[in-house]
Order: sequence, then C-alpha cells, then structure tokens
Amino acid sequence: MKTDTHFWDQRRNTITSSKGGWKVGEAVYNHRYSMMDDLVGQKSYMQVMILNATGRLPERRLADWFEARQICMSWPDSRIWCNQIGALAGSMRTSVVAATVAGVLGADSRAYGGSKTVIAGLEFIQHAYALLTQGWTVEAIVDDECAKHGGKPHIMGYARPIAKGDERIPAMQKVSAQLGFEVGPHLQLAYQIEQVLIERYDERMNINGYVSAFLSDQGLTPEEVYRISATLVASGVTACYVDAVEKQPESFLPLRCDDVQYQGKAPRPLPKAKNEERPFRVVAYTGR
Amino acid sequence: MENNKDVERRNETYADKASTKIWLETPSNDNPYLAEHCYCHGYDLNELMQNISFVEMLYLLFRGELPNKDEAKLLEMFMVSAINPGPRHAATRAAMNAGVSKSNSSHILPIALMTLGGDHLGAAEVEPAMRFLRKHLKQSPAAVIDTLLMQLDEKSDAVNDVHLAPGFGARFNGVDPLPNQFAQHLASMPGAGKSLAWGCEFAAKLKDHHMGWLHTGLAAAVFADLGFQPRAAAGLYQLCLAPGLVAHGVEQSNKKLTDMPFIKDENYFIDYED
Repeated sequence: MKTDTHFWDQRRNTITSSKGGWKVGEAVYNHRYSMMDDLVGQKSYMQVMILNATGRLPERRLADWFEARQICMSWPDSRIWCNQIGALAGSMRTSVVAATVAGVLGADSRAYGGSKTVIAGLEFIQHAYALLTQGWTVEAIVDDECAKHGGKPHIMGYARPIAKGDERIPAMQKVSAQLGFEVGPHLQLAYQIEQVLIERYDERMNINGYVSAFLSDQGLTPEEVYRISATLVASGVTACYVDAVEKQPESFLPLRCDDVQYQGKAPRPLPKAKNEERPFRVVAYTGR
Repeated sequence: MENNKDVERRNETYADKASTKIWLETPSNDNPYLAEHCYCHGYDLNELMQNISFVEMLYLLFRGELPNKDEAKLLEMFMVSAINPGPRHAATRAAMNAGVSKSNSSHILPIALMTLGGDHLGAAEVEPAMRFLRKHLKQSPAAVIDTLLMQLDEKSDAVNDVHLAPGFGARFNGVDPLPNQFAQHLASMPGAGKSLAWGCEFAAKLKDHHMGWLHTGLAAAVFADLGFQPRAAAGLYQLCLAPGLVAHGVEQSNKKLTDMPFIKDENYFIDYED
C-alpha cells in the first residue's frame, strides 16, 4: 500500500504565509499592514521588529522601551565573550556581517547574553507569581528555587558573573518611569525576591530579572521575548569587530605558544601498526 | 558622569591562560608566536600526517587515543554514508540558496551548518538521541515503545512525522529507508556496539507504527558505540555532513540566479489564519 503523502503533496511548489509577502505591482504586506503606506515613516523600527517577532504591533512606548534595553545589552567591550568573537573575526579580516552574526550566535547561550537566558528569567518570575497567587510566601518561593540548586541562590534573573549589582537596572527604571510605565505585580514580586536574596546571600537582581518581570507585566511570553531578543548583542559585536579590523591582522590579543597551558599527555612515539591494527596506514611521502 | 557605587567587582579568579589536553605547540627558537612542532594528545603532527588516516586522526582528536582497526572502520563507514544529506535536505538547500544568490563563498558552509543546527533531524537532535540510547540500553525495546506511545497519546499537538524518541520516528509519514539500510550494515561490523544493536531492535519494532531509524539516531548510535561524549555529538554530526553541503552550495554559485526556482506569485498565498 502506498504511503499517504497528501499533506506534503499539497505544499509542493507553494508557499502559504501567515505573515505577509510581496504582491508584485500591488503592495508589500506585513501582518495585514501595507509596509509602504502603514509602516514606513509611520512606525518605529522596533515596533515593526516586534510585529515581525510576535505578530502584534506594540504601542510606541513599549517599542521605545525595547530600544533602550537593546542599547543596555550591547556594549563595545571586547572582553565580553560574544564581542570577543567579533574582534577575533576582525583580526582575521572576516566580513562585518559574518563577524556580527557569529557574535550574535555566540550569545545564544544558557549562561549570558539576554536572549536565551531571558526565557528562563520569564519562566521563573511567571512561575513564582503563580505560586504567590496560590498563597506562597516570597521566602518559600526563594527556598523552593534554591532547593533546586543544592541550596545555592542560583535564580535566573539574580546575581551575575564578574560583578554584584547591575548598573543597567537604574537606567531602565528611569526609562520605564519616563515612558509612564507603572510597577506591575511581577516586578513588585521581583523586588521582594531581591530583598530576600540581599538579606540572606548578599546577591541582587540583574538586568535579566528586571526585564523578565517588566515584560511579564506587559503580557509577553518567554518565547516571544526570546524572538524579539534574537539580535540583542549585535551592535556591540560590530563595534568590537570594527576596532579589530582597523588594526593590524592577528594583533588582537596575540598568543605565544606558551600562553596556552598544555595539560595533556606528554609527547610520545606513535605506536607501530601491528598486523594492520590500524587499517589506513599510508605510505610516507619521501620527496622526489 | 556618575559612578555606579551599587556595582561591585566580584574579584572571582579567572585563569591566567586558556588550557587544553588536546594540543601542544612548541615554539620555534627565534619566534615564540610560531610553532615548530604540534602534538595531538602527545603524538607529533608530522608523524601523524605520514602514518594515519583522516578518520583515525579525527578519532584521536576527540577521544585522546588512536582507534583500533574496527573502530576506525566503523567511523569511516558512517562518515562515507553521511557525507552528503542530498539536495533536498534543508541545510543543503540553505547552502544552495546562498550559492545561487552569490553570498560570499566563505559563508556557504556556516549558513548550512547553522541551518543544520536544529533539533528536528539536525545536529541538536543527536545529543539527546545519544542520551536516550544510553538511558534505555538495558531495557526491552518493546517496553520502551509501549511507554513512549502512551506518553505520545497524551500529547495533543503531535500531527505529522512524530519522533517517538530523539533519533527515531517517521519522515513524510513513512520509514526512511536509507538510515535503516545503513544501520544494518553498520551494526554488522566488528566495531559496532550495544547502541547500534539496541537501536536496530528498537527500529524493527517501530516498523509496525510506521517509524524507524532517523539519520540523527543512527549518528548517535555510532558516536555512542565509539565512545564519543554526547556534548561533542552536534559538532561531529555537522562535520560529517559538511562536505556535501559545501559541494552543493559551490555548484550553485557557478550558476545564474534564475537557475533555481523562485515561487511564482500565483503560488504564493497570504493567509492570516483568522
């Protein structure tokens, strides 16, 4: 009996988009909007970017808030891992596009970067808020989360590598106030959790914690924020690329042989192949 | 400019140098930035290049020791079978799109490998598939299938091409013949181990449910039997498929933009679904 493949047969040589497209000679459509009539010159780039990532056109002030966050999350310090990728690429004379894309890909990390980490940040605060509404105390929520990490205060959105405290939070608090955003219930809870962590562990909220709670109050899902954040670190990577590409090739953080610590096996002779123990022995090149 | 007094340096200790167990470079006498000799897990690269094959070298790089004859043969057979996912594979098509649209030649492989990075038939499925095999090797394949089918029934969103477990499932509503054929060959080799054997039994019992080995599962079983770490699986899979991706991308880059299809307006539909 022939396999039923009609699902795929219907899709051959055909694209059905739920997002939009170019009707040549008519218009370019984007989520029911005419790009040239309704969006270009009418809406900000961030509004359209969020429309493309979520399917919803946000109000201007939320897009402006995202733009401020985008600036916060991407700075030209080539010690930061993703930026260093950009600088190394500059040192190798890679194209700016490849360098920037490589840095962006580097920041798609479970440890830092604000794109993938924001998923865990939003999931945590939304889960914590659900527990709060079920009658849990803030202390119990902290205990429960710490218990998952051997009693350590490893809570997504709190503490950060390199430093304690986060200069980006007061900057974003100022932006939120200027744009007229109130402190919502998720952010309120995030501050209460921070207070418990300060008292118990001397650890504070980081920008991910602030962003996750703020955006939970705006009704966004973790996946939506991840999608909006796809290119979050791009401009800082570009800056570090430019810094390196304008200098001598291979001059960014050059390493001598002994600048890498070798911890492996000491030099040893290659074992002789016994009865074709290794199958692909090639004849040594002896020169002409 | 205000100082941020609320931000304190942690003073964590970072290493002075990067470290590695894989590679030793000894400097030339007159320039400490140039290596005179390189050693891979202790073996001189000059000696290696004259005496061992690429497959043996690859194994050494990841495992720290040279493979025996059977291990090298198993890896080589898999790498030959996997060298080209073919022109219909999404990663190859990404390479072909990049090629025909005249992207930089050096971008073709990264573009294809990023596309290959997904967790549906891509590199990101191989590591979970290795972990799945490791976890279930001591269980009866039939019992594992029963449990997984029960869990599947509870999921409402499964429609087409279910992966009952990472690396095992249906493609285009059927059993993909090639990975199943390759698995039979590879499992019969002296270098094959428990993962390939268990996987073959599992896939045979899945046939009744119109599923079987997927290519990612086959890669996972080979890598597991050869003792590679699951964390290396995604990259190894990308390496194995890379030559075909480049070849197809470069082939298209020599052609005109019109030599590949561009879907006609009458076949492009906008349906906002509400």
